[in-house]
Amino acid sequence: MATFQHPSALNPLQRYSQACAVLRSTSRARNDAWYRQALDLDFQLHLRADGTGVLCRAWTRKTGQWSTGPAVDEDTLKNPEKFPAFAAEVVAFAQKSGATAVGVVLHVADEFATTELKPSFDNPGALADLRVAAEVDPASILDDSSIPPDQNSWRILPYPAAGSEAIATTITLTRLYGPFLDQLRLAGEAANFPVVTHALSAPLVALLTIPRAVRPSEGRTFLTVLHYANFTVLAFFNEHGDLRLIRTLQHRGQRRPSNLRHAASTTTAALEFVDPEVYLLHLSPHADPGLIADLRVVFPSSRVEEIDWIQSPFNVAEIPPHAPELQVSVSPPTDEAQGAISHTFATFQSERWAFQNFLPTPRDTAEIYPARSEMRLLRAIRMIRLGIAVAAVLALAWALFGVFTILRSPEWAFDTKADQAVKQRLAGLNAEKQRVEHWDNLLADRSKAWTTMELVCRLFPERSGVLIRTCQHLVRADPAPGKQQAGFIKEWKISGYARDEAIPRLNLINSSQGIAAIFSELSRVTQNPAFRTDLISRSLIPNVRTQENGGFRMRAAEEIQDDDPTTYPWTFELSITQRFESGDPMSINVAKAP
Amino acid sequence: MFYRQSIALFGIVLPLIVAGVVVGGAFFVSSSMASDFAEKQQYYKTYEVNRIGALGIEAEVSRKRERVAEWKKQLEDETKSTMNSNLHKIQELLPSKEFMPTSIDPLNSAGGLGSLSAQKSTQIHLGFRGTYRTVQRAFLELETRMPQLQLQELKMDPSGGASSLLNFDVTYTAWEN
Repeated sequence: MATFQHPSALNPLQRYSQACAVLRSTSRARNDAWYRQALDLDFQLHLRADGTGVLCRAWTRKTGQWSTGPAVDEDTLKNPEKFPAFAAEVVAFAQKSGATAVGVVLHVADEFATTELKPSFDNPGALADLRVAAEVDPASILDDSSIPPDQNSWRILPYPAAGSEAIATTITLTRLYGPFLDQLRLAGEAANFPVVTHALSAPLVALLTIPRAVRPSEGRTFLTVLHYANFTVLAFFNEHGDLRLIRTLQHRGQRRPSNLRHAASTTTAALEFVDPEVYLLHLSPHADPGLIADLRVVFPSSRVEEIDWIQSPFNVAEIPPHAPELQVSVSPPTDEAQGAISHTFATFQSERWAFQNFLPTPRDTAEIYPARSEMRLLRAIRMIRLGIAVAAVLALAWALFGVFTILRSPEWAFDTKADQAVKQRLAGLNAEKQRVEHWDNLLADRSKAWTTMELVCRLFPERSGVLIRTCQHLVRADPAPGKQQAGFIKEWKISGYARDEAIPRLNLINSSQGIAAIFSELSRVTQNPAFRTDLISRSLIPNVRTQENGGFRMRAAEEIQDDDPTTYPWTFELSITQRFESGDPMSINVAKAP
Repeated sequence: MFYRQSIALFGIVLPLIVAGVVVGGAFFVSSSMASDFAEKQQYYKTYEVNRIGALGIEAEVSRKRERVAEWKKQLEDETKSTMNSNLHKIQELLPSKEFMPTSIDPLNSAGGLGSLSAQKSTQIHLGFRGTYRTVQRAFLELETRMPQLQLQELKMDPSGGASSLLNFDVTYTAWEN
């Protein structure tokens, strides 16, 4: 078993490590029983020590049945050498019974003492504070400061009855059984099996039998005598059934206290009880038959009765009749239907005054382990941390995926030197392209002799009634200052002779549409784009002048020769001007070749 | 409750900080890389555009490269000698009576279309005698063999007499390298 230290001796990181170790190595996070009261557990082992022996019974909540527990005697509870073996036996017994935890409830029935509070504590509203003070700083509230607090344990018992001189008293038990219970808890921790202990004062628990076992007369005060083997407890109740006073009488080796009659009579007198009813509760395995007679001597006019446990609701076959505390401690709270509930018993049950733990786990020991809420937090943190880790891993994966995607992309592997190389290559190609385009431009078929001659043929086909005298073609520059391209002008001047049948042809040539049709046809036939007429950057202007031929002489048809100018009645002069603007595709680059 | 603060600190806060640092670091690296990547993408995009553009130009230019090489070779030769050489070859192809070169006269000065461009050019005057169609064919041959020739002026006159031959006076602008 890991050895854990008190967290106050650890730094924050060590505390966290220890908490994680507790989470890992114990079942505290999974088994709530570690943090529950022994009386709340489903499997309980009740030990009752009354000075004559130890009764051991096991109780299972599921069945509500009692069974015999491991054998134990008084020496086992007091001899440290016997603690480990019995503790291991308890754990094994519980595990064998199929329990996930065991609550060990020790009913201390061999000692009982009261200690009065300081008279200054007279405010019933401060009972809760007094209850805490009795556990953590008993010296501050006790009237007798001579009792050593490390050897005893005190718990508050209130006096709910109106008119009580004190608001409460304290019940005192020694810490005799503390080491025994500590060993049980240690055995549970060693076995990682919750062993939760609880030390009850048997007489306080026995008081809770009164509402169902005792039937006092209406409006009468009464006295209960709880007779144990080593002591007798006297509890005085007023006419409303509320506790006025509780006191104890030690037997000091006798079967009953020698001062019982005196104590009973003087106390009732002090409390101004007149002929109180007296009920005797035998809680010792060896009942004193003379005790009832003693009491009748003291209270001759009173009703004096013994409680018959056999007939009481607390009689259970597996438990001896003198030990009703065991059944009381596991019974549900008594309600009015089951018995006359006074304010006292209602308070004792609801606020659990009768079930106070006199030997709880020492605070220093309890604080070693994380509290229940801390264990839950620690357990929840595992899920939170898992969520954080998953979120972080997902985010990391997403980021890494992005990184890998980037790393695998050609853009990432791209070397910027390659960009420079391509730029240089592109620049070189562009320069080459410009040179090519430049020469393409300069060497374009914008002005060719063979197409010009073909034009003449297309203007005047053979036997069209025309005799050409001169033909001149001239190309002139048409500068466009400031522009990168320069236009030019092409002119054709043709003069000759024409017969009558040629006049329509000349008229056609003289029209824009006519000359354009001829140029377009020529462009199509020669594949020379210089004769295209569908571009707005070009203009085409024809001009034909005809006049009578002064040398014309009428001839007979058989005398007419085509090369004789005098056989043509008309002369003509044709001029065609084709202008290419600077925006024309065939305009000339002004700059030199790059 | 000695453990609550330690549990909260080391169980929640510290893992959150560690996770935050890890995730933040990853995101920092990722975003840093993304920034570099965006820059590289820009370079790469430019590179791709340039590369594709270069391929396009290369394809375009390569188709003309051989032709341009021929042009350049021709342009490096003297125009007159090239002209002479070509005319001799053309003469061999055509009937000698229908195509007769009468003169080749370099003008040694830029003019006409050549005056429009800073590109070096020269003018050359040619004289022919021949039939119309044969001379036209000769022109076709000549201008095909010498694409640098741009017709500047063309005059056609009958040669006189009963001959069907014509006189051709031609002036070319020839681009030079």
